[in-house]
Amino acid sequence: MKELDRLALRNDLLTILTELREDWEYSDEITEQTGIFGDLGFESIDAVALGSAIEEHFDQSLPFAEFLTKAGERQAKDITVRDLLDFLMVSLNRSKERRS
Amino acid sequence: MSGPVILFGLDGATYKVLDDLVARGVMPYLGRFVASGVREPLMSTVPPLTPPAWTTLVTGRSPGYHGITNFLQYESDDSRYLRVVTSREMCCETIWSIVSRQGRRAGSLNFVAHNPPPKINGYVIPGWVPWRWVKKYSHPADLIDKLKREIPGFDAKELAMDLKVEQRAVAGEAIEDNESWIDLHIHREQQWFNILRYQMKHDPCALVGVVFDGVDKLQHLLWGYLDPDLEPERPSEDFLRIRARCWEYFRRLDRFLEETVKLAGPDAYVFIVSDHGFAESREILYINTWLEQQGYLTWAPGAKVAPDDSQGLGVPQAYHFNALDLTKTRAYAHSAGSNGICIPVRGKRGEEGIAPEEYESLREGLVAALRMRCVDPDTHEPLIGRVWTREEAFFGPKMDLAPDLTVALRDNGFFSVLRGGQVLKKRPVVVGTHHPEGVFIAHGPGLCMGVTLQPAQLVDVVPTILCALGLPIPEDLEGSMVTEAFTPEYLKEHSPVYGPATVRPPHLPPDEWRDRAYEQEGETEVLMRLRALGYIE
Repeated sequence: MKELDRLALRNDLLTILTELREDWEYSDEITEQTGIFGDLGFESIDAVALGSAIEEHFDQSLPFAEFLTKAGERQAKDITVRDLLDFLMVSLNRSKERRS
Repeated sequence: MSGPVILFGLDGATYKVLDDLVARGVMPYLGRFVASGVREPLMSTVPPLTPPAWTTLVTGRSPGYHGITNFLQYESDDSRYLRVVTSREMCCETIWSIVSRQGRRAGSLNFVAHNPPPKINGYVIPGWVPWRWVKKYSHPADLIDKLKREIPGFDAKELAMDLKVEQRAVAGEAIEDNESWIDLHIHREQQWFNILRYQMKHDPCALVGVVFDGVDKLQHLLWGYLDPDLEPERPSEDFLRIRARCWEYFRRLDRFLEETVKLAGPDAYVFIVSDHGFAESREILYINTWLEQQGYLTWAPGAKVAPDDSQGLGVPQAYHFNALDLTKTRAYAHSAGSNGICIPVRGKRGEEGIAPEEYESLREGLVAALRMRCVDPDTHEPLIGRVWTREEAFFGPKMDLAPDLTVALRDNGFFSVLRGGQVLKKRPVVVGTHHPEGVFIAHGPGLCMGVTLQPAQLVDVVPTILCALGLPIPEDLEGSMVTEAFTPEYLKEHSPVYGPATVRPPHLPPDEWRDRAYEQEGETEVLMRLRALGYIE
């Protein structure tokens, strides 16, 4: 079975975030290096809401709480868009494998 | 066709406070409303907590069925990680969807666990959403932009919650400035009422529901100013000033109610409901400290002890992973609001925990210990009023998401999940806490006047609303219409009609919880979905 297309996933994630940028009063370009806490000014509950938005987009449950909790446990300074993308690649591939 | 129906939600409202405010002339319209309608206690869920209780009220199903058991619950059946509940965890159809599915419009304002919003025939602005997400999570997508244009002073930041502040307050931690706390809620309720008023004028619906949650927030921290039994004989100037500000909050709610009833018109049914009531709490039980003393729990090395002057109950997020040694722990509480105790079972949510075959005997022993040995160290009186097993409190297909045991404390309070220096601590100031008995006050054509009825249950609200709307009551609802609220003459001509069962929310696959269902449906549908999104060829 083929891997998910990382580029398509990246573009989709950036589209989701860029569409919401205006609501967040953030005018800079959002890239893979953008930090959701440091750059976008998120609080932890915003990250939870982002998880719901991503789940809604993919129409499936993702282990977002586990992802956020582990980031907190390793005292990560921020979560970048790239971190989110890595998480999505792993989670969606795992989900796909489980059902194949 | 009957109605419209207005569901006027007052989070945590209790007759003890409302009756006093009516008697003192703070809420004169409410007094007239009650006198010309029916009232009865409305019994909450176990535990009487906002997410399970409001969800029960708007689905007519109990938490074991609708799947919302707490603010935070396990991410999935096999995960030990906790997530904030959203509409994606809700497994039953809401009243908004039931009404909308039958060709009538519905509007929902400020209900918890409504994000992402259900795509109903009508509108939804969910509650408990941070400001950055209010627009994204409102339905229809252009609603917030329209309200910004049309409502002077509309401010999504005032409308939304600052959860960091609110979590502290709900847990009983002091907020630096009581008057700012009250004003924050005065401004927020005004924002919600402005939306309600605008929508009622410009987008009339058969059913509109709104929740004013400042009632709960004020009562948590300012119970001493609101409970008439706690009024000092010689009140200080500070007391009078803060109480006057609290009263101003309720005075405004009274005006909102009056304007809402007028806008709804003489044929409308207006139901004032609360998800739970309120009572005083004077002590903090450190349940994890008690579990440690009884040999059920081991703290991780370096787990901090809550300071002596702490009044907090503990922000639960990720708490148990850092503070507990799960390899040696057989029971723990992770979440202050749920009053729930979890028993880790090996292989269920990780490799830590007891062997599956030990579960029943350990739980039985823990129930007995909670009843007999969790006592006030001074008086030796029991601190636990009641213990429920998961099967008793959360029976249904979703009960695996709930704690293994749920307790009610002797003073109705929420226990702390922090590591306390002692098992029990007296609070220096009385705070408010949730009580199972809320309010149901109804007013409209065919309803009795000035009558007090026997308690109803949260699950009875949906059938009663549907009857008032002249719509069939789905056969799978757990409650029943509050027939005693209506006059015999009305019931002769409007007897309740029962219809087909509710339907599953669209985000859920048929019959099962998401992940299980995906396993059942096999790879085809998942792969089709991923292909449609362009992630695989």
